[in-house]
Amino acid sequence: MKLRDFIVILLITAGISVVGNYIGYKVNPIEAIPGMLILVGIAVAGILLSKFIPVKIPSVAYIVTLSTLLTVPGIPGSAFITEHVAKVNFLALATPILAYAGIYTGKNLDSLKKTGWRIVILALVVMIGTYVSSAIIANITLKMLGQI
Amino acid sequence: MKNVKLHLIALGLVIISELIGIIQIPVGIGTIVLLPMLFAMVLGILTTPKFLKIAKEKEMDDAGSLIGLTLMLLMAKYGTNIGPTLPKILAASPALILQELGNLGTVILGVPLGVIVLGLKRETIGGAHSISREPNVALIGDKFGLDSEEGQGVLGVYIVGTVIGTIFIGLMASFLAVNTPLHPYALAMASGVGSASMMTAGVGSLIAVYPEMEEMITAFGASSNMLSGLDGIYMSLILALPFSEWLYKKSYKFKYKEFPEPPMTKEEK
Repeated sequence: MKLRDFIVILLITAGISVVGNYIGYKVNPIEAIPGMLILVGIAVAGILLSKFIPVKIPSVAYIVTLSTLLTVPGIPGSAFITEHVAKVNFLALATPILAYAGIYTGKNLDSLKKTGWRIVILALVVMIGTYVSSAIIANITLKMLGQI
Repeated sequence: MKNVKLHLIALGLVIISELIGIIQIPVGIGTIVLLPMLFAMVLGILTTPKFLKIAKEKEMDDAGSLIGLTLMLLMAKYGTNIGPTLPKILAASPALILQELGNLGTVILGVPLGVIVLGLKRETIGGAHSISREPNVALIGDKFGLDSEEGQGVLGVYIVGTVIGTIFIGLMASFLAVNTPLHPYALAMASGVGSASMMTAGVGSLIAVYPEMEEMITAFGASSNMLSGLDGIYMSLILALPFSEWLYKKSYKFKYKEFPEPPMTKEEK
């Protein structure tokens, strides 16, 4: 995929998110667009970094790191970025992703049927196991640290 | 890429889902939180050829290749939640690191259940050594091959996780938040299982219950998810897989009164 295609897709997703942000969370698109463009800018910068830095790190890691660093209090411009991005509801950003994921999942339904009910039960138990044990460990540690 | 129809379908799904909005259903002692993203996913499945036939093969393929890219805006947003809370995240880092060991809970529950109750064989090792997200599928594929029994297991759990995982994690998060003394921060960290969509569903449900904690919940969820992405594969390779093998042998002996055949790695086949 070319960089131009990346940007086009990011802008399309951003546009859909702005609509969702307006319908679901009543944020005026005019107010949300600057924050959304900041997010697009950070995403593009992350993609460029992963292209030009020869170490094999996925662009997602660069994006999260970059947007974290840019919003640490005290960094020049961090207040500006935080203020505008706050206008973009994070649930509004998630809905389009799951829409695409849902369309794609239509493709996997057959293979899911084939794997059978035993794997479905195993998968549910696996998810419960990971989730509950992580939560218990985190809860105990946070308590000991005095953070909750 | 330039599939206008796909993007219009997605836009339609988003509009309908956001119009439905967040639905909270009180069930007995707790509340189930249904988020617009879940509606978008379910409605998205309904547009495919098996159901309403709005999306065709081409749309499904294109959607698959776009998911990774559409995630990037959300990831950028997560970073902007981590930044302002960075001092608190660092202070909580022991909890963030230790809860990664929760992955072993999967093995302790999953392997005996798979072997003894469900009667699965080495599928169990692939399917229950971890939560089976992309890095784990890659790891098992590398070690045993995806056409092996282990490969069938990891792929099966991966597919189930993809189809119902987001819904399930979201429901589990809101159920535990309302019905157990587990703190929302701990549940937020647990939501970071190494899948952005599952983490988002978990975190999203928690925010719906505790809107005043949004910033910390998303920050903990996202940083834990990043950590899982970083250490998940090493955790599986060094701890979870050997532990699964060991527990598999024990469970097998318990059920069949004899030891299983020794495993075959890819090189030996």
